[in-house]
Amino acid sequence: MESGSEQSSDQFSGRLGLIFATIGAAIGTGNIWRFPRMVGANGGGSFLIPWLIFLFLWSVPLIIAEFALGKRSRVGTVGTFRIFAGRRFAWMGLWTAWINVAIGFYYAVVTGWCLNYFQIAIRGGLAEGVDTIEVWNTFLENPMQVIFFQWITVLITLAAIWGGAKAIEKANVTLMTSLFVLLFTALFLAFVMDVKDGSLDGFIYMFSIQPEYLVQPETWINGLSQSAWSCSAGMGMAITYSVYMRKDEDTTLNAATMCLANNSISIIAGLTVMMAVFSVSADPLGAVSGGSSAITFLVLPEVFAQAPGGPVVQLVMVAVFFLALSFAALTSMISTVELCVRNFVDHGFERSRSVALTGFAIFLFGLPSAVLWIKMDPTTGVRFPQFLEVQDHIWGYGLMFSGLFMAYTIWNYGWSRYKFWQEENGVEGFDFREYLDHGVSAFRDDFINTGDNDWWIGRWWDIVMYLGFPIMFAVLMLSYFVDLLANVDDPWNPANPHGISIILLFWGVTASLFIGFNKLLVSRPVFRNVPEGADVPIDMLPGGHDPFVLIAGEEIPDGLWDDGYGDGSKRTGTAIEAEIA
Amino acid sequence: MLLPMLLSFLSPIALAPVSEAQEAEEGLAPGDIWSEDYVFQNFPWGGDSKAQFREYHDYFTMKNRMQFLADRNSEFMTFHEGLIGGLNARGDEMKATDYEGWYYNHRSPWIKITKDASGGDCNVFVGDCGNYADRPDVMLVGNHHAREWMSYEVPMFFLEIVAHYYGMAGVDNDGDGLIDEDPWNGIDDDGDCALLNSSNQDSNGDGNPCGPGDLGVDEDFSEQFITDMVNTREIYLIPMLNVDGNRYDREEFCGPTAWENCRTSGWRKNLRDNTVTGVTPLPDIDEEVDEGCDGVDLNRNYQFEWGAPLGATGPLFPGMCYAGGPNNDVYNGPVDTVDQDGDGRLNEDHVDGKDDDADQLIDEDWMGGNSEPETKFIQDMTEMNDDDGDGASEFKTTLTWHSFSELVLWPWGHCTNCYSPDDEYLVYHGQVMGQMTDYAPMQSSELYPTTGDFCDWHYGVHNSYCYTIEIGNAFHELPEDIAHIAVRNVGIAFYMTEIADDPRYRAIVGIENTTARQWLSGPDNVTVPSEGDIPIGFCLDVTFPYSTDINMTHLMWRFVEPTRQQDDFGPTEWSNVPWSRTPFIEPESNVHCSLRDGSNGTQIEAHVPLPDTSVGKIQYKAMLGTTNGAFPFIYPNVDEGGNYYELSIPYRAGFGDAILSILMFLVIASFVWGGLGFSLREMFSEDDRVLGMPIEDEPQPTPKNPGKSN
Repeated sequence: MESGSEQSSDQFSGRLGLIFATIGAAIGTGNIWRFPRMVGANGGGSFLIPWLIFLFLWSVPLIIAEFALGKRSRVGTVGTFRIFAGRRFAWMGLWTAWINVAIGFYYAVVTGWCLNYFQIAIRGGLAEGVDTIEVWNTFLENPMQVIFFQWITVLITLAAIWGGAKAIEKANVTLMTSLFVLLFTALFLAFVMDVKDGSLDGFIYMFSIQPEYLVQPETWINGLSQSAWSCSAGMGMAITYSVYMRKDEDTTLNAATMCLANNSISIIAGLTVMMAVFSVSADPLGAVSGGSSAITFLVLPEVFAQAPGGPVVQLVMVAVFFLALSFAALTSMISTVELCVRNFVDHGFERSRSVALTGFAIFLFGLPSAVLWIKMDPTTGVRFPQFLEVQDHIWGYGLMFSGLFMAYTIWNYGWSRYKFWQEENGVEGFDFREYLDHGVSAFRDDFINTGDNDWWIGRWWDIVMYLGFPIMFAVLMLSYFVDLLANVDDPWNPANPHGISIILLFWGVTASLFIGFNKLLVSRPVFRNVPEGADVPIDMLPGGHDPFVLIAGEEIPDGLWDDGYGDGSKRTGTAIEAEIA
Repeated sequence: MLLPMLLSFLSPIALAPVSEAQEAEEGLAPGDIWSEDYVFQNFPWGGDSKAQFREYHDYFTMKNRMQFLADRNSEFMTFHEGLIGGLNARGDEMKATDYEGWYYNHRSPWIKITKDASGGDCNVFVGDCGNYADRPDVMLVGNHHAREWMSYEVPMFFLEIVAHYYGMAGVDNDGDGLIDEDPWNGIDDDGDCALLNSSNQDSNGDGNPCGPGDLGVDEDFSEQFITDMVNTREIYLIPMLNVDGNRYDREEFCGPTAWENCRTSGWRKNLRDNTVTGVTPLPDIDEEVDEGCDGVDLNRNYQFEWGAPLGATGPLFPGMCYAGGPNNDVYNGPVDTVDQDGDGRLNEDHVDGKDDDADQLIDEDWMGGNSEPETKFIQDMTEMNDDDGDGASEFKTTLTWHSFSELVLWPWGHCTNCYSPDDEYLVYHGQVMGQMTDYAPMQSSELYPTTGDFCDWHYGVHNSYCYTIEIGNAFHELPEDIAHIAVRNVGIAFYMTEIADDPRYRAIVGIENTTARQWLSGPDNVTVPSEGDIPIGFCLDVTFPYSTDINMTHLMWRFVEPTRQQDDFGPTEWSNVPWSRTPFIEPESNVHCSLRDGSNGTQIEAHVPLPDTSVGKIQYKAMLGTTNGAFPFIYPNVDEGGNYYELSIPYRAGFGDAILSILMFLVIASFVWGGLGFSLREMFSEDDRVLGMPIEDEPQPTPKNPGKSN
């Protein structure tokens, strides 16, 4: 709603714009630093098998659901849950949005690290022989520097999304194309490195199946978690971006493309890291499977600084890598901020004001992650940001609930359609066969296989959503908590930052706050971003008869505001409209 | 690209703060070196101000805390009060109530500390389990004398440390980023105290900068050592022996703020009612304590050379028994009235290790002593705790805390200018402990002669190396001094625990410097072979009588690897696995190695079995036992960090088959990249076909939209 109401909706210019935006959202630092580590720790090629299987069991189905939800609701996460799950469940959308923003708080800090490393690299600060631990510790011990680069991150992000869908598209196309070029450059250099030392051992390890790993549950759980996080499935990114879809856009192939592109990048980044590390390091598996993000900032600069071809090539390699990392992180940052902004805009806030507010909040609430609890790992002498780590713990797994809420929405819809069908046909009692045909498949029939898609989704999707999803969710959660119980000292102590209590506490407080907040949330009107000529009725949905759900540009019916909100003064629709404009 | 330009433009600003940090100053403040918690002596176990040693415990809070810790750590601690009783070693039928104090009727609370404290053999008389024939026992006793309050705070501090740190290893106690760099030895090993500006170097205010008890001295001890001690010893910790007297001192005699009015005075003895027991001719007018004569000095009540008048005036006279009249604070207790051997003669062979009456029996009819519930408790715990059934005391070392004067004392106490057969060795350990605390080491009688004290009895009767520590400079120290005095004294308890296996032999190897010259190969000296077991060498003195029994001499090792599920932003998390043991063997041909002083040694080796596919590190240390039962001598020893060595193990197996991996690559690549290409092509292709749509659905490409929009 940039300039009044004559332009009521905001769209990507074309299919490619949407694809680039969603790929940008999906590809993040996880592809570049988490994936290689997972490959290293889980038996190389053995890991790729579960990783690929879960791509189709978790990520793709969930992203399809997100696209379908967003394409019909035409609002951000809060509105989508309000429409699809009913007024009482708008808080689920708030949870989804919150998880995303809470991750964004510290992700801006992490993106700042990447930017900083890029600038250190181009100034030659990561050349051969530099003590990378020293560089890292000095940086983290310097709050002003960390904050400075966090601030730069927020600024770049805000600049990219200020102008709405078209601007996001432009930023993503530029950044993503550069990322591909950069990654291929790095891949080529790493390949040269690995060949030069006589054997392609990095490549070989990454693609060799070690059967004993395939029978270990850990390998499968890690494959699942990598798939779940890497594609950003459940984050609500796809919901948000599908708001900007043109009316006849495909959803299913988009989902497949987004996830496959994400995994393609993972393989390229994985190969780059593995080949480089294996060519240089005496203990490559130890180096690559050893742990946290700090490894990226400690081992990789050291490895790249030993690339053949002299100082110039080495500098290019390090700089290219960190620039690619920064770009990957920035595009994810963009979608994070946009997701939040979208929710504000849906609820009638002016876009530029929402962008500024979100940006400011992300910067402000990211500050603790940037500077608090900068601890030292006594065994290695490497600094790490414990506050940030704890945030990652809490909200990383909180993300799984967002996915569960989406699945719930689909189950809920299926059940309501079944009831409706029973009523229409005068059928009494529960019949499983009928439920399968008229309930379970309802969401798929009504919102996925709509005719706009180039890929028809079969019953397998229902099975994944109704059966596979809860099982995978339970396995992930169980393995996480069992791991905490087994490996963390004193896990129930709420003061233990690695414990269980602190996680449950944060989840509990947030969820109950949001549930309590629900009433206030649904008292505001929601404006749907419906493109010209699109046929997106919502009246068969649980929240479809909500008089507060409007199409952007529609007249706000007078008289709905009697209960008032905000300062409590009575407002008329016109007053609201004036405020929004 | 705009970004790089922007960054190079702004980076000088961002990097500016770096240079400011390192400006030289004249010495550092404590906060510059250590964590805040260490600087303010906030102990990591939390708890109230008593558990934090800001305030004195009293009997009740101390007992509660002991029970709490024992409950929480039941795997290696059990809580007890007094003894259960039964027929004791002297043929007396003892009841549990016989160990209750005369006046307030409490039994002395104590804690048994050993790994699997509920396993092993159970002792029905003593009431404890966790008795193991191969674990040496050590007895640590506080508060014989009621007013010496630090003497139970130090054992409580020892208890807190054990409870908190057992099972841990590699903790950075002072937050300086180093691990276990400053063990208990009274020396500022890492030199961090010396870095302080001079006004901070003497934090305990004893006039000795960077001495024991000062910040930065002995502050980062080895937790692994604590764990090893609990695993290989049975520790009997009795923080407050004289509960009666202590309650009286706190509740009646001096009051709860005794440091204000009783700094160097207070109630000393227990609360035997000497008027009613007929020792004094006066009748007991009431049930109250008669401060003029009641009580027995518990540390004069043990039987060895009991009642000998050397030095002390009127040891057998309790006091005048009128208010304000002279009270004998060293009253030894009543003279014995029983003919123990039933030969018709009374007290003809008192306890001195000799056959005074030439009847072939030694010390069989004593003059007195061990008459009090508290001393009987020590007597029966010593004599009834016989793990290996050889009839001799299990307590090869015993320690008792007193105050004050800053001394380390050893037997004898009952005679002057006389020396025990073990004098050379007692002196050795005494000097070590003197150095640990900066307390003056001396033979007990050099201070003043005593009769019937704890250490003379333990050494003289039970051949136990026994030390008395005189803590601090007052009976009632100021509350703000509790913590640093406790810190200064706690190392001794661990030392006594360590040497409890064979204190005599420990002194010999200490004097000859044998064990300190031996060394275990550190990570720099170990070559990881390209396949197979990893050999770890150990260079021993050729004369060292090491045991070949794997229970005594072995390499303890464990393989740790990063856990498969790592935090994205935290430090590397390592798998947590129990220790394994591997024997040391002599190589086929005698291999010579050089000891630390350059002389010839014998090399033995342990072979750590590890698959070639392992990636991670092995942590290892050697436990060495001798043929005469001393165990363990730990390598690397405490001065070398006391922890364990850590050796990185690279992946040693092949990485895989080239052909197969290329095939796999093709499969994955065609799946992912091919799939991506395919879906992109489909997306942008002009035709209208829908992938995967069932044929029968084809005619109606726009499925029904249930419920039309208005």
